[in-house]
Amino acid sequence: MSSIPVERPALQAKDFKSDLKPIWCPGCGDFGVLQAIYRALAGIGRPPHEIAFVSGIGCSSRIPGYTTAYGFNSVHGRALPIAQGIKLARPELLVLVAGGDGDGFSIGGGHVAHAIRRNIDLTYIVMDNQIYGLTKGQLSPTSPRGLKTVTSEYGSLEAPVNPLLYVLAYGASFVAQGTPADMAGLADVIEQAIRHPGFSFVNVQSPCVTFAPEDQQVKAQRGRMKTLASVGHDSTNRLAAMGLAQTYGEVLYTGVLYKDPAPQPTLDALVRERQAKLALEAVPRERILDMFLQK
Amino acid sequence: MVPRTIDFATLSLQDALDLAILVEEEAKERYDELAHQMELHHNQDVGGFFRFMVKIEGVHEGRLEHRRTELFGAAPRRVRREMLFDVEAPDYDDVRANTTPRQALEVALRAEKKAHEFFTRALAAVKDPAVQALFAELCEDEVEHAGLVEQQLSRLPPDPVIKAEDVEDDPVAH
Repeated sequence: MSSIPVERPALQAKDFKSDLKPIWCPGCGDFGVLQAIYRALAGIGRPPHEIAFVSGIGCSSRIPGYTTAYGFNSVHGRALPIAQGIKLARPELLVLVAGGDGDGFSIGGGHVAHAIRRNIDLTYIVMDNQIYGLTKGQLSPTSPRGLKTVTSEYGSLEAPVNPLLYVLAYGASFVAQGTPADMAGLADVIEQAIRHPGFSFVNVQSPCVTFAPEDQQVKAQRGRMKTLASVGHDSTNRLAAMGLAQTYGEVLYTGVLYKDPAPQPTLDALVRERQAKLALEAVPRERILDMFLQK
Repeated sequence: MVPRTIDFATLSLQDALDLAILVEEEAKERYDELAHQMELHHNQDVGGFFRFMVKIEGVHEGRLEHRRTELFGAAPRRVRREMLFDVEAPDYDDVRANTTPRQALEVALRAEKKAHEFFTRALAAVKDPAVQALFAELCEDEVEHAGLVEQQLSRLPPDPVIKAEDVEDDPVAH
């Protein structure tokens, strides 16, 4: 069969919108994150059937179902191992991972470090609302100290995990932060994260409309967010990024915190390289069978 | 990367019409989403109002599309939805499950005013006289729409005084 070159029409944000309608609480920050993801994917231009979108459990983990990409709403905290498996088995796919702060930094916390050090080419978007919203408002790993919830009636005594500092410390080569209060900016950082070769991380401060106080809602974020460009941040400087990351919970910086100017080869690329090399030395199957049958 | 900003200085009439159509399309889709959210939370009155707004924005979109087809036929569109974010679409965070009809009208009013601001700012940057005329017309339309919503608001009785803690989930266990 002869191959006829087919020109792909430019994809639009609505091409990534599934027929399933979101059932988040009205006013949830995740609505804006979803819009930013649609626009980022349109910017990337890969058709939905070339994208695998994996999530764990939680409100934000519903996101793959709201897109036309292949989706896997998996097990709590296990989105990253599944996504890594998909990327290794099907390296041609664009692999995205989504989840909440509980999914990523509590039950799945151990996986984040290993996904980073393996440097598999995938993009991890965490919708950090600092609470377990789906289960009716318990403390999550990023809940601020003093937060009153159903599990901390007198206020949390624990210090929160700092997701930005965590991933930077483990060596992530792309780290950004956004908010649904600036959907254009968020779409932009998600698109940059997807284009970055290797493990890329986007922390989205996506407030829980039901359990977070008004001063943390999207409207309030608009007044206090600060773009990293406005403070003259050099996103190629990891130490400067770590310095700014320490203000997590106090200052809402948006934009690219760190982007490795010379990223290392990805694990999936290294695996393919090794497979190609070993294939040259591989013993043909017939000979292996012969050896077993001792002909 | 897809451009996420619009260069108003170089905008042609065809692009400007397409942009205006996309603005209405975005608003129509957002009202549809908000209507679904309200229906899901058994807030039928507000859901019904947002459904009405879907129709209104659809009518505006249809009028602009008709004009665009008359002037430029099926010439391919050069502007993209990805360049627009919430021009006339109400903000997601402007609604809650217990939004009242009065608050819903206020949401629509803010959306109309936001669109007016957008076209006013754009007007200052536009160079093409035909585009200037279109944007000036759209600005006037938005003022008229805002006036209509204000009229509806004036006919509604004030919301009953309900304390937030009566309707919101309490974050603290008892």
